[in-house]
Amino acid sequence: MSPTIITIITVIAMTDAVAALRLWQLISPALPVGAYAYSAGLEAAVEQGLVASEEDLAGWTEGQIRHALAGLDLPVLARLMGAWEREDTAAVRHWTGFLLACRETSELRAEDVHLGRALARLLPDLIEGDTRAWDQNDDVTWATLFARAAVNWEIPVRDAAAGYVWAWLENQVAAGVKLIPLGQTAGQRVLARVSGAIPQVVRESMRVEDEDIGFGAPGVALLSAMHETQYSRLFRS
Amino acid sequence: MGFAPRSDRTVLAERRHEGPLRLLRSFYPEGAPCHSYLIHPPGGIVGGDELDIRVRVEPGAHGVVTTPAANKFYRSAGPLARQHQTLRVEAGGALEWLPQEQIVYESARVESLTRADLAEGAAFISWELTCLGRPAAGEGFETGLFRQRLELYRDGRPLMLERNRFEGGSAVMQGAWGLGDNGSLATLVAVGADAGLLADVRERLDALGLRAAATLMDDLLVVRWLGGRAPDGWRVLMAAWSTLRPALLNRPACEPRIWHT
Repeated sequence: MSPTIITIITVIAMTDAVAALRLWQLISPALPVGAYAYSAGLEAAVEQGLVASEEDLAGWTEGQIRHALAGLDLPVLARLMGAWEREDTAAVRHWTGFLLACRETSELRAEDVHLGRALARLLPDLIEGDTRAWDQNDDVTWATLFARAAVNWEIPVRDAAAGYVWAWLENQVAAGVKLIPLGQTAGQRVLARVSGAIPQVVRESMRVEDEDIGFGAPGVALLSAMHETQYSRLFRS
Repeated sequence: MGFAPRSDRTVLAERRHEGPLRLLRSFYPEGAPCHSYLIHPPGGIVGGDELDIRVRVEPGAHGVVTTPAANKFYRSAGPLARQHQTLRVEAGGALEWLPQEQIVYESARVESLTRADLAEGAAFISWELTCLGRPAAGEGFETGLFRQRLELYRDGRPLMLERNRFEGGSAVMQGAWGLGDNGSLATLVAVGADAGLLADVRERLDALGLRAAATLMDDLLVVRWLGGRAPDGWRVLMAAWSTLRPALLNRPACEPRIWHT
């Protein structure tokens, strides 16, 4: 084998390793965007006794991952990444507006906008390229800036999608552990069990056609609207 | 259907139909607004049927459209029944799209799309009340499919995109995040609302003690209900509509007569 080929292989491996590390940074609960403040309707579900156990939390998260995230968030994330890659700003705005219009309540939209803006403020310190204009935008989502970072770091779309689901799941489980409440070990069991579905969900989500994107969660929509007037609350959604 | 203004009232200026869909004559129970009744095929809708309904409201016109009875989707051996409703309201026009409930029978396979294109300054109130299966007849929704879309655009920008997929036996039917074992659902949307009106609607909904709630996204107010019995859903829609109509259309709630026959 010639030395040149060995060098190229080494470079590719190094790039992949760095991409993986950047993804871990992007989906870490320590990323300072304030995701821990949002429960996406779970606080209302717990308040009403609809999610009351480890089993319930697993069903609540797995059902949404298999249907709502697989049918909506991930196909849109993939399109946003493609749009950023092509530097197609019109497509970025289109899919951002689409995703936001699919968020069913005021609180769910505010959650997405706040997380997207927080990431827009943080990214200029981490990547080349100025995303701060998105911080002033009313039409922005978490997925919009997540896709921007993933493209910058050359994270493969399936890895980015798996990371996106993992971050959502970990945040929901943390909220559930606090709200229900559950022990930390029970929370880890839910994570281990439900995350097993992620590879299949990612595979299926990559096959969704434009025309079929979208999956409503009527229970989350109703509970989130109820949360907006819930008397006692720890979370902002 | 095309609603247009005349000197003293709105008329159904354009009215064409093909196949078994029908429009009854227009009624004027409250002066200018034109109340119209849309008649679905009397035998219900079966797999392979395609309903294509288009409504346009011109500037200055006010149309109220309802149906004289529940709309029924019957079981299908395979092919989808399709219902496409395209609603367009120009600036200064008003449309109230208030059909009675749709009942999706066990093993029915249905795709329903309601798309509303609003101009800036158009008024619009719409609802959809859906029952999956017929619990009163001891019939569930174990093998049916109901794909339901509600898409609302203003000047080409999406205000709200709701794309539900209710498939008998899937997790969306039982999960608390989905229907939570509720066989019926209702959604009402209205544009032009504000925080004060949201508070009024919430007060009316709270008084009912049903699983209903309202939210406000910019000027779009959305009311949702989940439950088991269509009459409960109807009470939610009535409470919200009778609060919204005076504020948004400057008219007291005037129920189409056909609801009481």
